[in-house]
Amino acid sequence: MGKDECKTMLDALNKVTACYRHLVIALGSTSDSQNLREELKKTRNKAQELAVANRTKLTALLKDKNISKDDRAEYERLWVLFTSSVELLEVDMKRSLEIGQDFPLKVPTRHLIQTGMTGSTTTVAARAMSVQNMKYEADANIDTVDLKELETEIAQVDQMMEEMEMKVQVAPWAVEAKQEAGAELKSTVSVGNSSVGVISICEEEPKETVEGETGLMKVFAGIIFTGVLLIAGILGYLVVNL
Amino acid sequence: MTINTLSQDGVQRQQMPCLTKMERMIISMQDPDMGIKLRNQRLLITVIPHAMTGLDIVEWLIKKCSISDEEALHVGQLFVKYGYIYPLKEPRNLILKADDSSYRFQTPYYWMSTRWPASELDYAIYLAKKNIRKQGELIEYEKECYNALHKRINHTWDFVVMQAREQLRASKQRRKGDRIVLECQEQAYWLVNRPPVSPEHYKLTTLTKNTIIEHNRISLARNRVKSSICLESYVKYCEQYQPHDPIMQGCLPSNPWITDDIMFWNMNSETVALPTKLRVERWSFSFMELLNDQMGRKEFLTYLEKEFSAENLCFWQACEDVRHGETAKIPEKVDEVYKQFLAPGASRWVNIDSKTMEKTLEGLKRPHRFVLDDAQMHIYFLMKKDSYPRYLKSELYKNLLARAIVPQETKKSVFPFMRRQRHSSPSPALATQTAEDDGKAKYSNSNSGTASRL
Repeated sequence: MGKDECKTMLDALNKVTACYRHLVIALGSTSDSQNLREELKKTRNKAQELAVANRTKLTALLKDKNISKDDRAEYERLWVLFTSSVELLEVDMKRSLEIGQDFPLKVPTRHLIQTGMTGSTTTVAARAMSVQNMKYEADANIDTVDLKELETEIAQVDQMMEEMEMKVQVAPWAVEAKQEAGAELKSTVSVGNSSVGVISICEEEPKETVEGETGLMKVFAGIIFTGVLLIAGILGYLVVNL
Repeated sequence: MTINTLSQDGVQRQQMPCLTKMERMIISMQDPDMGIKLRNQRLLITVIPHAMTGLDIVEWLIKKCSISDEEALHVGQLFVKYGYIYPLKEPRNLILKADDSSYRFQTPYYWMSTRWPASELDYAIYLAKKNIRKQGELIEYEKECYNALHKRINHTWDFVVMQAREQLRASKQRRKGDRIVLECQEQAYWLVNRPPVSPEHYKLTTLTKNTIIEHNRISLARNRVKSSICLESYVKYCEQYQPHDPIMQGCLPSNPWITDDIMFWNMNSETVALPTKLRVERWSFSFMELLNDQMGRKEFLTYLEKEFSAENLCFWQACEDVRHGETAKIPEKVDEVYKQFLAPGASRWVNIDSKTMEKTLEGLKRPHRFVLDDAQMHIYFLMKKDSYPRYLKSELYKNLLARAIVPQETKKSVFPFMRRQRHSSPSPALATQTAEDDGKAKYSNSNSGTASRL
């Protein structure tokens, strides 16, 4: 069915856009590296392929005049999802160009910002590309070479968006979302449980500083000590009485 | 210092220079030798590097910029306020404390940028993510924002939910330390860009509401002209003024800028005996043209004296003086005007209708610059509708028009060598060119900063 195909393709585009954003956030920080630049390039290309595929499919479906009203409403909703995704992608591409130009990797006087992130982004990129392990095969000067390609790609995406606006007459404000407020809470996939406990550290006043730790330890030690004392007392009493 | 990052028309093309300067300082703080000393942040199980204390920041600023304690603290505060550095222990409290409270640098993607303002869609995605993580336990103002956004960008809400889920899944791929940093970073970004609004801001008093309503009502009632009509009158205006434009039509006797002959200016000065014909013709275009020309005003005054309505023009002139004159002298000037023109039985009493007269007399109790505006407007229109057309038809004007001179164009002498040089002085463009060439040569030699010798 056209609709299901569209939905799966849109999901894929959505996933790649989210991963791309995640990678762009790491640009310029201490987790930036040659690998990251290559990951960005690959993710970006994949996103563009998906975008083009989505566009052809959706325009074909929307141009068809013999579809029912419900179908048409559904396709328009998918179209709005698609355009939002592409807009997000375009903004992220432009930002990655800007930050990439500001933080070249080979210049020793340009320092990367020490943000506290030190891990690699391989797993995120692997998720985007739907592979198990990422292979890195780019040259050493990918950070500068890639930027030129990025500029041309941004121009292409801009042009694609303009064409889309011209050719497809969908009023975005007329689309009604299927999800109501708070729909994300009904998700069956537990996305946050493992991080919930950890995040509370950032939010409230964390007592997990070095002093806090030793304080906690002290309390534990005190409890154990009093427990031992109690047991010793009881034993002694029993010994005395028996 | 407040940095207003919201421009009138939306997106700025350039990053604001103050923000670029802050970015440069942040980058110089990263220097492994000369930058800030970083420590590790210990949480229960994880250790996250790259934390610094407030004291470190202040000391580094003092050393690097050779400034005082107070100033360093203030500069540090700016970094925290605009989101380049965020506090770790009390994230909602965006101030810098010069003690051992820890801070961390923000990643470049989340730096304050006028080119990429924080968008509603991103905020909606962030709130949706937080909603998922906290299982629906958002803070009060965040709940309100969430509901407002749900209404406002309802058409992309599906996208918001999908993207929120995907972004969380993507971040699950990182290790724990990085995940914590990511969440702290994003939270700090949104605390800077969407700070909680205090309830006092919401209270619009009835007074302000009424002024806003009144202002909007006046704007609605404003006269609007169709562009077709506007353009027609613009074309007519251009056609009417073209013969009078020295650049388009050429000026007689000759253009002083070309021939160095200032006859043109002399003939058109204010105190000349006989005006030029073009000048007198211009007086017939509009009443304002007549009044703006000193000679025209004098002529008009002579005419009005003959008609026994000279006090109108004198009153108008006096009102102009009040409007454009010194503020300190306004009360005495207004008093003079009242005595001469408005008081009952005044020597030069002007004829104003009773309503305007009442209003003006009321206003005279508290004189300000524009208190005589209504009366002045009334007299102006009186003169324009009544006296001005009659003046243009009068003998006085027609005589002047007949007597007005048309200057002769300076004769080009027969012998070429006798002619006055058309371009007597070298063109200024050539002068700057040679100066620049000299400047460039000197610059490359001496490596100095200034290259222009203009």
